[in-house]
Amino acid sequence: MAKYGWLLDPKRCIECRACEAACKQWNGVETGIGVRYRLVHVQEAGAFPAVRVQALSLACNHCDNAWCMKVCPVKAITRRPDGVVLIDQSRCVSCRQCEKFCPYQVPTFNEHTRKMEKCTMCADRIDQGLQPACATLCPTEALKWGLWEDIRSQGVDRVAGFTNPVYTKPNIRFITSGWPGK
Amino acid sequence: MTLTRRDWFRLTGAGAVTLGGEKLFGSFTDYFRPAAEAAANEQTLITACGICDSVCGIQATVRDGSIRFLKGLPGDISGRGRLCGKGTSGAQFVYDPDRLKYPMKRTNPAKGLDVDPGWVRITWQEALDTIAAKFGDAITQYGAESLLFISRPAPDIWVRFMNSIGVVNRVDHLDECYLSNRIIQRYTTGGYTWCHDFDHSKYIVLFGWDLVAKTKLVYTHGIVAAKDSGAKIVCFNPQYSATARFADEWYPIKPGTDLAVALAMIQVIVSENLYNKDFVDTYTNFGEFEAKIREHFQQYTPEWAEQESDVPAEAIRRIAREFAANGPAVVPAHKKTLCANYRNGSQLVHAISILNILAGTIDRPGGRYFPRTAEIPGVDAVYPPPAYPPKKGRRVDGKDKLPLVLEDGGGLFSTTADGILNRYPGMIKACLFNTYTVLGFPNPPRMFEALATIPFVAVIDTLPTDTVSYADIVLPSATYLEGNDLVSREYTAPYPQVVVRQALVPAMFETKSIGYVALELGKRMAPDYFKDSAGQWINLSTLLDEKTKRAGLAENFAEFKQKGIFTKEQPFTPRTSFNVAGGTKCQIYVPQFAAKGGDPLPVWRTKRELPSAEYPYYYLTFIPGVHKRNSTENNPILHEMFPTNAALLNPKLASELKIEEGQMVRITSRVGSIELPAHLTQTVRPDAVMVAHGFGHRSRLLQTAGGLGARDGDVIPDQTIDEMVQSGDFAGAAGIMDAVVRIERV
Repeated sequence: MAKYGWLLDPKRCIECRACEAACKQWNGVETGIGVRYRLVHVQEAGAFPAVRVQALSLACNHCDNAWCMKVCPVKAITRRPDGVVLIDQSRCVSCRQCEKFCPYQVPTFNEHTRKMEKCTMCADRIDQGLQPACATLCPTEALKWGLWEDIRSQGVDRVAGFTNPVYTKPNIRFITSGWPGK
Repeated sequence: MTLTRRDWFRLTGAGAVTLGGEKLFGSFTDYFRPAAEAAANEQTLITACGICDSVCGIQATVRDGSIRFLKGLPGDISGRGRLCGKGTSGAQFVYDPDRLKYPMKRTNPAKGLDVDPGWVRITWQEALDTIAAKFGDAITQYGAESLLFISRPAPDIWVRFMNSIGVVNRVDHLDECYLSNRIIQRYTTGGYTWCHDFDHSKYIVLFGWDLVAKTKLVYTHGIVAAKDSGAKIVCFNPQYSATARFADEWYPIKPGTDLAVALAMIQVIVSENLYNKDFVDTYTNFGEFEAKIREHFQQYTPEWAEQESDVPAEAIRRIAREFAANGPAVVPAHKKTLCANYRNGSQLVHAISILNILAGTIDRPGGRYFPRTAEIPGVDAVYPPPAYPPKKGRRVDGKDKLPLVLEDGGGLFSTTADGILNRYPGMIKACLFNTYTVLGFPNPPRMFEALATIPFVAVIDTLPTDTVSYADIVLPSATYLEGNDLVSREYTAPYPQVVVRQALVPAMFETKSIGYVALELGKRMAPDYFKDSAGQWINLSTLLDEKTKRAGLAENFAEFKQKGIFTKEQPFTPRTSFNVAGGTKCQIYVPQFAAKGGDPLPVWRTKRELPSAEYPYYYLTFIPGVHKRNSTENNPILHEMFPTNAALLNPKLASELKIEEGQMVRITSRVGSIELPAHLTQTVRPDAVMVAHGFGHRSRLLQTAGGLGARDGDVIPDQTIDEMVQSGDFAGAAGIMDAVVRIERV
């Protein structure tokens, strides 16, 4: 079955955070309690004036070898045939093991529901033939979503500030070439 | 989120109980359910964003009467089918529990940020009657000059209301924004435009304007497209901004010296005859004033500019040559930016106009062009008014001292407090704030002090801002997602396009549109101006239908709501005649400036205040990309992304001052001080501190943004009109980037 993934082109990111806002709005994620499925991570490198900044819009990478699934003691985390990794909140016992083991700190504890939550890749939208909300809104196509077979050959599998992908095999690639930075 | 009904009562107060009944609460609780849940009653509606002037088109999902999801509108030339984070979060403005819900009056005469006004709910009838009576009394006893409207000149029926009662003191924030640019463009290239054809530019030079980081999509899309097609971008900015990241070359220029670099670029292009000869000879007054122009710019060599700006002379020379040779080239200039809001802003935007003229790209592909707008008739065209009364009286902001500003119509925030307190004390008897907050003024404490001297203050807004704390009457305003209008593209308009703005949901609670307020106050104060030819009251729906029909969009507004967007594609025909000061040519040398208190050619001036022993550092402010001025901080989604501000310091400077990450620092200028935590970043010059604007709301009724952050304006001096005139700031810049400060650990 078709599998999906993310393609990030950080140089195109303007930090408008439409991806974050769209995610919150579509998924009805509560505000004010630190639960954010998608987050734009801004990192600096170098010293003034040779400073560089990279903005990475990251969410769950729906890893092929998802450690969150492996460590969940109640098997609340499952993978759909299309690769989307979901937390079944009715089974979650909030032991927070997934949070500890995820190399990308993706699963988050919701203090109100007392359950773990994370990005669902907007599975409900995928089922309707739509793109995830974040990729739908991104104005500059810094964040794209699509078939993994189209994405896997593009760009590179790692950038500074992104945990080594060898072990969990995240479904995300990064475009690091192109303008400007000459 | 599961917001129970009990929670809702608690949040909104008992007053809300009587308002909406079951239906209202139903729509609220529904809203907090995930948008993804299936529901039968779903509509897709087209509307337009109202947060910034990009006014991107929106496709909205409305389910069971609640706004569930907003996304971009295909075919829209502004947002190009997308929205930014602010636009995407729009529903949160509608469903903000802190919203002003019904008209209120103050029962405690004492005013202040920490004083409980003792709000009492009143009817619209009482609120409007009171305002009309107070304003009417002020006019009768003291003349129209006693009224102060802190308001933008929109919508058209609001302007009619102000005109009908002879308002002379309307003040807006334009001196902090694009006033200088508008005045200079009028006399250099004719008219005023926001449009830049970045898509076809090959060389873009940016002075300060952080246009990408402001996420005004209309410009962001252009910059990204320019990069995709191989354009070169040069960026001068003391901060390594989001825009600087898009640049091939970034120069951390000394604050306030962009003018020096621009003058030197002109010097190189003119002395080496690199300008676009066809354009300059045919369409400008260069020939007429050639000797004067050449002689004037001789002094501004790249070597001189290097001394002022820290930008190497050889870089300036090379960039000037590349700019002239590798066109189409453009230097955009627009709003409150690091460059254009120093005291020398008038000079700088003139120099920028000249660079664009020399590049030969005025109204040419890849350059600054004039919008091809769809004409939508205003209320005065649909219902011609009787002659308006003459505008008589003294100008509280003193703009009559600056002839070019006076003829423009824009207002001066930076001189208003002094006008109220010192220049004409006691003149202002009644004031109306229309959707502005005092946070927008330089030196807000002084403006609060001024407000406290005004006997009657009315405020129209969506939220209980700090300004509301000083109001006698508060009117709750509808948000842009609850209103109806026609939006004609102005910021990008290679051909005409109109997008509908329609109410996605009925206006919540008892909120009303600004148009309604104008009409109702107008009926009470100047009835003759609010009737149609048959003597009936003007009806806002009929007016909108008539505008829609006359603009050729549809038979009526309801029909256009279905279509949502009107686009008239047509070839771009460059102008061959420029409507400049009665002539047809662009002006490099502007004789009218000399006659009206300005300089015919841009001359070097420093920024207003330079670092000194007492105040050794530059103080710069910026607006975060996820916020719009001081109006979005209470939006829960945007708040979560950028909740408060910090003092951005280079680690080198921090180490000299023994300041560590997160430590509280005090920033002090000659007018005030603020305290906030330090955030160390390599993106700022080591001789400057940067603070985000929009924070430091003190209103206790703002549950999300209230009490968070520091008010950046507290260290920015306001000014007297005489200071502005004497400094040579002939096109009226507020100088909000001019402060210098000292920084110390707390």
